[in-house]
Amino acid sequence: MSLTHLNARGEAHMVDVADKQESRREAVAAGSISMRPATLALLAEGGLPKGDVLATARIAGIQAAKRTHELIPLCHQLALSKVSVDFRLDEQRSCVEVTASCRLNGRTGVEMEALTAVSVACLTLYDMCKAVDKDMQIGAIRLLSKTGGKSGDYRRGEAPPSTGPQIVTDDCYSGEVSLGPHADSRSVRVKCLAELRERLGVSELEITLASLARPDVAALKSALKVRDANFALLEEGRILCAVNQVMGGDDTPLTEGDEVAFFPPVTGG
Amino acid sequence: MIRIQQAPFDAGAEQLALCEGRSDIGAVVCFTGLVRDFNEKPDVEALSLEHYPGMTEAALAQIVAEAEQRWPLDGVRLIHRVGRLSPGDAIVLVAVASAHRRAAFEACDFIMDYLKTRAPFWKKEHTRHGDYWVAERTTDKHAARRWETV
Repeated sequence: MSLTHLNARGEAHMVDVADKQESRREAVAAGSISMRPATLALLAEGGLPKGDVLATARIAGIQAAKRTHELIPLCHQLALSKVSVDFRLDEQRSCVEVTASCRLNGRTGVEMEALTAVSVACLTLYDMCKAVDKDMQIGAIRLLSKTGGKSGDYRRGEAPPSTGPQIVTDDCYSGEVSLGPHADSRSVRVKCLAELRERLGVSELEITLASLARPDVAALKSALKVRDANFALLEEGRILCAVNQVMGGDDTPLTEGDEVAFFPPVTGG
Repeated sequence: MIRIQQAPFDAGAEQLALCEGRSDIGAVVCFTGLVRDFNEKPDVEALSLEHYPGMTEAALAQIVAEAEQRWPLDGVRLIHRVGRLSPGDAIVLVAVASAHRRAAFEACDFIMDYLKTRAPFWKKEHTRHGDYWVAERTTDKHAARRWETV
């Protein structure tokens, strides 16, 4: 066993991954931040001065995962296909459990991204709550599992966290980044939003990845058109597409469990 | 601070909160967008706003982060309402604090231009003669493009 980030002379170097096989990589990390019961109660009610704590921490974790390469010197820049950050409010232990999972099809693992997401989500929780509680403590940041790649799968030898009474973590409209296991993880979830939903009469559907000619958005559109000719609307130049809530296009690759949304140009403000 | 909510907001209270406990802020620019009773058609009776939970928050965070990179800002509060609104209701608030007015004016203008063209929100107007989804405007696109050459 050797450290791959050190060369023969013991100097730090970035591992050349050009010749490694692409494979589907997934990593799940977790951590927790303990706080006073009163702080946890404020967090649950949304009564903290800086506003929606969990939605902000979730976005912070997702953004951090995408920027891991800027923080960790020898990390590669990765095009993550999915990042999710979830929170569980544990009243008994008076803490928030943070879990992050990252995924991509590529040549390097994504455990650093998942660990970074957890770390930054915890730091953001601290920042959002520090006005009322400076004794909070961040701890137990660890990798839970990792799949794909040459070094094989890894699963931490620990009992899954107790599934005690769970507090609802958020209002659905204030920052849900729909993640968590789907009923059928071999599917891609398709959402049609706003005017497009009304024109198609379809809000949400699932389609198996195996039924696509290729795992990408163009093939998904073709498969949808076979299912219902009205989906030809998706070919209108003005209809936009996001994969896992990041803007994409016809050649954006899809993996199992992805969420693909189609929608018209935006008109907010 | 970024919030998406159905409830109304108090622009004055938000501005106070932005500056609370600080004496280094020299300028606050506060933009409030309201629902008009005329748009593509007259007699707008109500407006419904839809968003894409998760992605909308991320898009707004990205826009604010970009503004913070372009101008030296001391704070930003961005609130966008969703759900059903009536003419005269406040729909969006962008409050920007900086040491100097120019940065605050420009950053507020930039955030609104990008919000209108990049953040996933959709408006449906309810008029006396039926409902329709609001179409995107090329003027909004041109306004956003101004910042690309800066």
